[in-house]
Amino acid sequence: MKEQLRMYKLLAAASLRSRMQYKFNFWFSTIMAAVINVVEFAMLAVILAKFGHIKGWSLEEAGYLYAVLTLSKAIYRTLASDVHHLEHYLVSGDLDNLLLRPIPILLGLMSQNVSFRIGEVLQGMTVLILCMRELFQHGQITWTAIPYTVVIVLSGALLLFAIGLLTASLGFWLTRIEELQTITEDAARTAVQYPVSIYPKWMQGMLLTAIPVAFANYVPSLYLLRGEGGIGLLIASPVVAACLFAAGLLLWRRGLMRYQSTGT
Amino acid sequence: MIQVQHLSKQFRTAAAKEGAFKGVRMLFSRDVRIKHAVADINFNIEPGEFVGYIGPNGAGKSTTIKMLSGILHPTSGRVTIDGLSPHHDRRRVARKLGVLFGQRTQLWWDLPVRDSFDILAAMYGIDAGMMKRRLSQLSELLELEPFMDTPARKLSLGQRMRSDLAAALLHDPAILFLDEPTIGLDVTAKRSIRHFLKSINQHLGKTVLLTTHDMDDIEQLCGRVIVINDGKLGFDGSIDDLRRRIGLPTLIRITYKLPIADSAKHAITRSEFNGLQLSCGEDERVLTAACNREQLSAMDALRMLEQYGEIEDVHMEEPDFEEIVHRIY
Repeated sequence: MKEQLRMYKLLAAASLRSRMQYKFNFWFSTIMAAVINVVEFAMLAVILAKFGHIKGWSLEEAGYLYAVLTLSKAIYRTLASDVHHLEHYLVSGDLDNLLLRPIPILLGLMSQNVSFRIGEVLQGMTVLILCMRELFQHGQITWTAIPYTVVIVLSGALLLFAIGLLTASLGFWLTRIEELQTITEDAARTAVQYPVSIYPKWMQGMLLTAIPVAFANYVPSLYLLRGEGGIGLLIASPVVAACLFAAGLLLWRRGLMRYQSTGT
Repeated sequence: MIQVQHLSKQFRTAAAKEGAFKGVRMLFSRDVRIKHAVADINFNIEPGEFVGYIGPNGAGKSTTIKMLSGILHPTSGRVTIDGLSPHHDRRRVARKLGVLFGQRTQLWWDLPVRDSFDILAAMYGIDAGMMKRRLSQLSELLELEPFMDTPARKLSLGQRMRSDLAAALLHDPAILFLDEPTIGLDVTAKRSIRHFLKSINQHLGKTVLLTTHDMDDIEQLCGRVIVINDGKLGFDGSIDDLRRRIGLPTLIRITYKLPIADSAKHAITRSEFNGLQLSCGEDERVLTAACNREQLSAMDALRMLEQYGEIEDVHMEEPDFEEIVHRIY
């Protein structure tokens, strides 16, 4: 494990150095990503400011859901950026190079094209701190919320990673997976930026079972912010994430056996 | 060292449809066409051998190499490298292998060559002292020094190939798989790569499996040749056996100063003349002779052809590689 961590750091550093060869592109893409995030949140804030609440969720509560998810996504995409871009490796045959090396392939893939999502982290942290301060003042949460929030963010990151990995692994069978990723990763994640209770029942069901991304923020927040259910809801989040990740690893292994490379 | 038993690989692709709405129909079709890229291949390679693995494009050479190195999983059959399976023990086998794909670099595209070597050293857990010794040795043999600090994307093809070779050898593997290591190189670059490969095989005892389309690579390097065509093994033996089996004919086209004399035409009608097979071209002054260089040297052939008149121009054509491979069947 320690060895693998060292390997990851080394490869990630190499990929960062590669990206920095193109200085303009590096800074431009970093800044653009930050701007897009701010705009996205501004929309949510406008809606909330106008109505005061969404289906009984106050501005701070909705902000908390949003911030936690943003941080989870930032962690997932920073640590495992190219898992999301596996399709490119399958189509070009670039996975060959990783398969030749005495390192775990997933680790190799995770360390390619690393980018720090500074914008997302900053914005997520800011919104999270503002919202949590409000919630403190209303007496809705206590100090224990801080370690719980850390757990929620981390298991959310693992959950998003697991969903990404499962979708990417399907690429070994389907080759082209961009559209599928739009649904399982982007659409689902965008959906749970808002309290899931605003959606029709069938869609809530989807977000809790088929693509259980609601466990990244909504489910644990029910307990943490509103005292609904029991602590089980909070525990469910890392458990679901771990199970899904294990399934992802299994499918990944099966998929690798089907890897077809490309002709020369 | 390398054992290959009943190795097969099939690729499945959706069968293309004909006629109206073929695109849409293909979406709903469950027909798959199975392509047998490699079918039931067997061979063993002993330590220290230098084996040429040849065949026309699409014969299954790269597929075999990819199965041997653990990139592709075989549909059936078994590969063992030094007692281990590259599929179940991929990471352990990877340490024993140096692999080079001439068509694609394994260096970090945007980083200086030196950085790529450092990263590889860390991946294989080579300690600093050892790394320094190896690198200075490789750098001397392959003359890497002038472009060690150049990003890989700015290297010439020859420099890139040498760097890739060094990268494949950095962890001192006992076995080398080289997929077209001389492709696209000029004569000098080819020569220096060949020279290097020969010396690591002879002096360091590395086992080498090489695929190529260059007949000179085979002649100068390989003690043994394995021919694959259409996924099946066609020939496995020494290079002398291969030569004997095909009888490599060389084509000599002679242009005489004057139209060909009748005596020559007479020889042509006899069609064979001391190991030379003659035929007339459309041009009156041109004569084409096919000769087996095993039996008749080019100089002797020319001396014989001189009898028919003063020679203005000579053009010699070595047998086409694809032609040779085809002839084996």
